[in-house]
Amino acid sequence: MDVVLGIRLKDCTLIATSKSVTRGISVLKEDDDKTRILNEHNLIAFTGEAGDTVQFAEYIQANIQLYSMRENDIELSPKATASFVRNQLATSLRTRKPYQVNVLIGGFDTKTGKPTLNYIDYIGTQAILPYAAHGYAAFYCMSLLDKHYRPEMELNDGLKLLEMSIKELQTRMPMDFKGVIVKVIDKEGIRKIDV
Amino acid sequence: MSDPSSINGGSALAMVGKDCVAIACDLRLGSQSLGLANNFEKIFKINDKVMMGLTGLASDVTTLHELFRFKNNLYELREERKIEPSTFANLVSSTLYEKRFGPWFTGPLVAGLDKHNKPFICGFDSIGCIDYAKDFVVSGTASDQLYGMCEGLYQPNLEPEDLFETISQSLLNAVDRDTLSGWGAIVYIITKDKVIKKVLRTRQD
Amino acid sequence: MSRRYDSRTTIFSPEGRLYQVEYAQEAISQAGTAIGILTTEGVVLACEKKITSKLLDNDGTAEKLYIINDSMIAAVAGMTSDASILVNNARVYGQQYLKTYNESVPCEMLIKKICDIKQGYTQHGGLRPFGVSFIYAGYDDRYEFQLFTSNPSGNYSGWKATSIGANNSAAQTLLKKDYKDDLTLKQGCELAIKILSKTMDSSNLNSEKVEFATLSKGKDGKIIRKIWSDKDIDLLIKETGVLDAKDDE
Repeated sequence: MDVVLGIRLKDCTLIATSKSVTRGISVLKEDDDKTRILNEHNLIAFTGEAGDTVQFAEYIQANIQLYSMRENDIELSPKATASFVRNQLATSLRTRKPYQVNVLIGGFDTKTGKPTLNYIDYIGTQAILPYAAHGYAAFYCMSLLDKHYRPEMELNDGLKLLEMSIKELQTRMPMDFKGVIVKVIDKEGIRKIDV
Repeated sequence: MSDPSSINGGSALAMVGKDCVAIACDLRLGSQSLGLANNFEKIFKINDKVMMGLTGLASDVTTLHELFRFKNNLYELREERKIEPSTFANLVSSTLYEKRFGPWFTGPLVAGLDKHNKPFICGFDSIGCIDYAKDFVVSGTASDQLYGMCEGLYQPNLEPEDLFETISQSLLNAVDRDTLSGWGAIVYIITKDKVIKKVLRTRQD
Repeated sequence: MSRRYDSRTTIFSPEGRLYQVEYAQEAISQAGTAIGILTTEGVVLACEKKITSKLLDNDGTAEKLYIINDSMIAAVAGMTSDASILVNNARVYGQQYLKTYNESVPCEMLIKKICDIKQGYTQHGGLRPFGVSFIYAGYDDRYEFQLFTSNPSGNYSGWKATSIGANNSAAQTLLKKDYKDDLTLKQGCELAIKILSKTMDSSNLNSEKVEFATLSKGKDGKIIRKIWSDKDIDLLIKETGVLDAKDDE
């Protein structure tokens, strides 16, 4: 019941992930970071089968970084990054043991100067969305975001909207997910925001 | 419920008119009951006179679109000409049959005009059996409803404008009776000198 | 001396040379000239066709110019049959990249890929190296218009203007003299024809002996790859006035 949430704003993308790690009825950790930095302007947030998630995210991270090393420090665009990840998951789906990982990729395209948000599930379904969430969190958040989201929102309004979504999740979700880590991707790169 | 062809939802159809063909699809992408996107196009351009529709598992829709773009680009480079719709249909068929014992979960459609500008449409099952038709072909989660609408509304030899009206009404009224389809629609009319794209605004529920 | 080092696997001679690779390069310097010129508005490729016979039944398609993908054209000097293998590899790789990343392959990455294949045949044994050099005209959003060459050793390099094949040193000298950084595409085309007319053996230049291609940007920002028709080439030759200049001499 992890929370993975993303909102694309006017000139940045927000990614929020829950801090709890649970196994059965136990909470094992309450400061977990379910994201990995792929390169200066791409962040992957993940949820799914324990073990698969980190393994997959770090495999992607290694490949994206390898690309930049080979290509004279040129970084892969958000679109290319998302396509690559989708392809990996779609290929994995038809193997003996597919990765059961759902991801959001928050990015900032330095060529077009636009922030992006990519939704990709373990099947390989890819969609470019203004706001997205995986798992049960999606059921509670989407209607809220449908009503309040505006594409021209600045960071501050975005954070307010995020706060509203988290509050709703804290009210409606059956367990305590120990709050969220929030990260922003904009033209300056990736940074953590204290909430 | 866990049938791969109806996780994401979506429908498409193609129709033959007088010296023209039309192909249309809805725009919904869902995850079971939850709607994810209302801009997921399921019709792809192959060349100026051939288009294909792909419904079913969204992941396979994307994969197959990429795969056919790959194959078609190489065809154009090696043959130095555009592919004919019937040739492309056979390419689709053999590509699908390659995965006979672990198929792509899609229902493709092909629509186009051949080198004499004669209309061509066909549909496929998930393992590549070609369904040639001289009137209409349907595919997707609203295919039952689409058959009904097309049987009722279709007339042969319609001009492009009338064909557009017929295919639009068939699609719109079929997807309104399907929870997994809808959320907007797109219609393409292929005529001998141009392709017309029309975006239909529909109910968003 | 060379006899001992060129019959088997390509290995170094005591002077530190790879004879097989050098022979391949020698074979190319007999082949028809190809010229590439980078201009501010695009890239020009021009090739000399060596075999022209009235009896040759050709469908009119270019034999020394190959479209690699939406944003690259390659000109060939050397063995056409070897070239077609590499061109096929390049095309497939271009499409594989497009499929995984949904973006056009960066020019240098594709060239590097082809050169890795070429290099492989200079090192592991039993087979001869590819007898082809290429000039690549390309565009990508990293470095915009680009011009590269590659040779049988698997080396590649980027250029403002270059040539491969017969008389390439003469062509190179002429290019060095007449190349300017602010050439327009039109001026680039004229320069290519002018140089080709001087380096080619035959006196009267016409579309039967020349293949021509340009890579440029359209008004909508799309890349235009154009392999010229015989009519367009003849018109360019006429406009450039290289034939009249020759008559005066």
